[in-house]
Amino acid sequence: MASRIDFHDTIIIGAGVSGSWIADQLTQKGMRVLMVEAGRHFDRKTYPRREVDANSLLYWSGGIELNHDASIGLLRPKVVGGGSVVNQALLDRFDEDAFVSWKKQSGIEFFDQDQMAEWYERAEASIHQQYIPKENWNGNAEVFAEGFEKNGFKCAPLRRAQKDCRYAEGSDCIECLMGCRIDSKQSTPVTTLKRALESGHLELRAKTQAMKLIEDANGITIELRSSTGESSLVRASRLVLASGAIGNSKLLLASGYGEKLPALGHGFYTHPQYMTLALYDRSIRAHKGPFQALKSDDPEFRRQGFKLENVFAPPSGLAMLVPGFGAKHMETMKQMSHMACVEVAIRDTEPGRIELASGGRAKVTKALNAEDRSRRDRGLAAVDKIFNSTGAKKLIPGDVAIGLHLMGGCAIGKDKKTSVVSPEFNLHGSKRIFAADSSVFPNAPGINPSLTIMALSLRAAEVIAS
Amino acid sequence: MSRLSRLQAKGLQKAGDIMIPGDEVLPSFTRSGSIAAADRIVEFLTESDRAGLKGVAVLFAILPRPFVKGLLWLAANANRLPSFLAPPFRELNLGVKGVVMSLYYSDVSMDRKIQGALGYDAKVAGESGDTNVEEAYGRLRAAQSAVRSLSVRDRLDFIRRLREAILAKREWIVDQIQDATGKSRTDALTSEIFGTLDHLLFLEKYAEKHLREKKVPTPPVLMGKKSLVRFEPLGTVLVISPWNYPFYQAIVPITSAFVCGNTVAYKPSEYTPLNGVVEAVLADAGFNEDWIRVFYGAGDVGSKLIDQKPGKIFFTGSTSTGKKIMAQASRDLIPVELELGGKDPMIVFADANIERAVAGAAWGALTNTGQSCTSVEKIIVEDAIYDDFRDRLVKEVSRLKLGVDRDGGADLGLMTNDMQTKIVADHLVDAEKKGARVLVGSEWDRKSRAIPPLVFDGVTREMKVYREESFGPVLPLLRFKSEAEAIELANDTEYGLSASVWSKDLVRASRVADAIVTGNVSVNNVMITEGNHALPFGGVKNSGFGRFKGEWGLAAFSNVKAIMIEASSKKIEANWYPYTPEKYSKFNDLITAVFGSQGFVGFVKFAIAGLKLESYVAKVRSDRVR
Repeated sequence: MASRIDFHDTIIIGAGVSGSWIADQLTQKGMRVLMVEAGRHFDRKTYPRREVDANSLLYWSGGIELNHDASIGLLRPKVVGGGSVVNQALLDRFDEDAFVSWKKQSGIEFFDQDQMAEWYERAEASIHQQYIPKENWNGNAEVFAEGFEKNGFKCAPLRRAQKDCRYAEGSDCIECLMGCRIDSKQSTPVTTLKRALESGHLELRAKTQAMKLIEDANGITIELRSSTGESSLVRASRLVLASGAIGNSKLLLASGYGEKLPALGHGFYTHPQYMTLALYDRSIRAHKGPFQALKSDDPEFRRQGFKLENVFAPPSGLAMLVPGFGAKHMETMKQMSHMACVEVAIRDTEPGRIELASGGRAKVTKALNAEDRSRRDRGLAAVDKIFNSTGAKKLIPGDVAIGLHLMGGCAIGKDKKTSVVSPEFNLHGSKRIFAADSSVFPNAPGINPSLTIMALSLRAAEVIAS
Repeated sequence: MSRLSRLQAKGLQKAGDIMIPGDEVLPSFTRSGSIAAADRIVEFLTESDRAGLKGVAVLFAILPRPFVKGLLWLAANANRLPSFLAPPFRELNLGVKGVVMSLYYSDVSMDRKIQGALGYDAKVAGESGDTNVEEAYGRLRAAQSAVRSLSVRDRLDFIRRLREAILAKREWIVDQIQDATGKSRTDALTSEIFGTLDHLLFLEKYAEKHLREKKVPTPPVLMGKKSLVRFEPLGTVLVISPWNYPFYQAIVPITSAFVCGNTVAYKPSEYTPLNGVVEAVLADAGFNEDWIRVFYGAGDVGSKLIDQKPGKIFFTGSTSTGKKIMAQASRDLIPVELELGGKDPMIVFADANIERAVAGAAWGALTNTGQSCTSVEKIIVEDAIYDDFRDRLVKEVSRLKLGVDRDGGADLGLMTNDMQTKIVADHLVDAEKKGARVLVGSEWDRKSRAIPPLVFDGVTREMKVYREESFGPVLPLLRFKSEAEAIELANDTEYGLSASVWSKDLVRASRVADAIVTGNVSVNNVMITEGNHALPFGGVKNSGFGRFKGEWGLAAFSNVKAIMIEASSKKIEANWYPYTPEKYSKFNDLITAVFGSQGFVGFVKFAIAGLKLESYVAKVRSDRVR
């Protein structure tokens, strides 16, 4: 272990959405920040080009982690920029329903659309957004729109954090699941994190993982481990945890906070997603152009606790979704360009739990209760209607459930017994440790979390800076 | 250990072939060679996942195939199992299927034909074909220090992994080569795969030795100094390759340049780009993509690359293109190495084993459908056996099977492009017009790329087939009466790449080998010097210059730096200032001593003269300082 301990004013653990946005705010105020990130730092020229490498280099544990009974595959980004690099950059504000349930769960007053509007506006003003014009829709979006219309469902164009995807020149955004190679996607390495680095006040240590932290009266000491296995100690007077639901919970549990904060690791949600593929006689070419153009916007779906997404998967991912193996599997794969895909994402109600298992691993218990299952089944029934009304000749239910909105574990709230983070974003009982990322979500909102993470992080940054 | 053992890889391949058995379009998992990238997954797994996967892989390797299939079936249907049993089988399904599918389908997304089968052609604006040469080259330049800082042993680690990747992917590579060139499968396997692997193994065994710092003798007059030779990188090297051996001619020069510490800009021929193949094997071996980059395109791309002022240009191809490249390179004094065409003679004396010589002539002229720079293009046969040799040769080549095969059963493949096919047709028409008899192949329509072997009798010096490089399946026969005449016929060409001499009399054969003005000679064999990677390769006259392969090939990609080291002291060298008449005279004495007499007496004289000079120098210096 290094004998010298570096001292820093503020340390941020995790270079994802929350960490980057907070770093940007703090450095704009002239504060000096050290940011550590377990993943690597890529740019548009160095993002991996092959799925196998994207899985290994952009996610934890080789691409996928499993819940307790291997029924859900969890995709946890591990890269500078975090989810903003690998997600599809959908920007949605939470609706009244989401905030009402958050307010009820947390007792926090500012969880309503009006009080959050200021922070949403500030976030939206910082990055480019676009709606996908109809002329750029691919066959998959057309199936989606047609199926919604025929069944009387409501859908809406979705808003993406993107600058210029150059569709006219033939860009296929399915490629940007591995990181955007034309800097159109407004991931933090080209927006907030970039600005923070350019300020000269931010030091970013990639390929460095926080292992443990100890807080004393004067500050916090953090044990870091580099990718080559060397340990070092750093110290700070303020610490921002921004490594997501699993990352934050795991670090706090490993640091012995489980006793002090009984809610730690509880209340884990993932918006479990179920993809259904459908084969058509006509060519769909779902991999072309904008990856996603539409979203469900149906009040009835919302009431029933699910949403439908217009998505697809590149070959390796698709091969995982197609059930079975062997000659039949290959035949199905060869019909890839005739496939459409719709995904159900449910607003899960059964809280999961993150615990520390042997060897310092995180064990994630996440099951579906009867209500969750019925939400899934209602969603899948709606998907079947969409496909059946648009001439699909065969439906292929995807083999794997996916969780990629990883939320909770460090819920925000007033009550120390049922929450981990206070309404002022500090850990209950600590004046120095903060968090405002998806780990603080008190429950599953049923809406894509990215924009709200930005808004919460902006709000938290004001508190942290003062 | 984050790597898979051989047994574990075998187990995964067994499972992979059950999951992806292959069909007429898609290769099986094993045949795709996707396993080569397995370590790139395994490295990133958690320790327990890795241990689990390795355990399962060993189990698969040991179990008979039906059991493996049964296990995989249970795993794929885990959701139907009782809930207490389901989780481990689901995990098995996700783990094994995850590895197999992501390896295979990540890989095939780089393969155009299979992309076509899947209909998957995703791309990003600005990336299809129009590489920005300046920018991409800039990245090679920026990566120079990283490659330079690797030790030769570190670089050889990449070479070893590359060899393993090519080995695993060889059938897939052969498919790609055949699709691009139309050559026969066996030609592709033996010359491109075997030759490439053999070269890589040579590097692994000998590159460290050849690139190690060498101490050379220091003469007595320079006593007290140490003389060293070091092999340093040139920077970024430009490799421009031809279309006849698109894989071999890519990997061999690229890796030679890389082990010397260079980054490499590689431009394949626009006729046989082998899109993505070189990148795929390099990626499997873990090469950083900024170390070696492929630039696709025609001459304009090559010209733009030369504008980037590479440390050296290594060109293999036609003499006319070679001249153009050298002309452009001369503007910036960029060193060039040119491996150009040939009109290689084969001299057969009457005492040669005629059966072997005939078989050698057929293979030497026809392998790769005659599209080798070292193809036999003039068969010079001694008068006494000429008729017999001719008749046997006709019989031999008439038996050969023509076509593009997938099983290794065809002897001759197609011509790779129409441009070269036209040249062969032109040579044929010209020869017939000037009176040559075409003994085999006259039925060829002069257009199809499927050219049968063309045996010419009655060839004269006026014919193109005698003088110009045909680069096709041609066998022009010539007759000689004396050794001198044979040598004269062999040397009557503007080329000088390789030659072969066939005779039982090895003294004569060796004498004739010396008399032929050329770069490489095989005795009682053909094109065989290329088979030994320790030998140099290169030509004279219009066949180019420079020596490639062997230790000379490594020197070719190195800045061979001379270093002389002397301990720090206040001593002043005798030949430095000031010059005085007295020093002049003492130097004169020294010259007499050093160069005038040898042996012990000479050494004593040298020692005396040297001492006198030294003490004089010291005295002059101290007078000056005062």
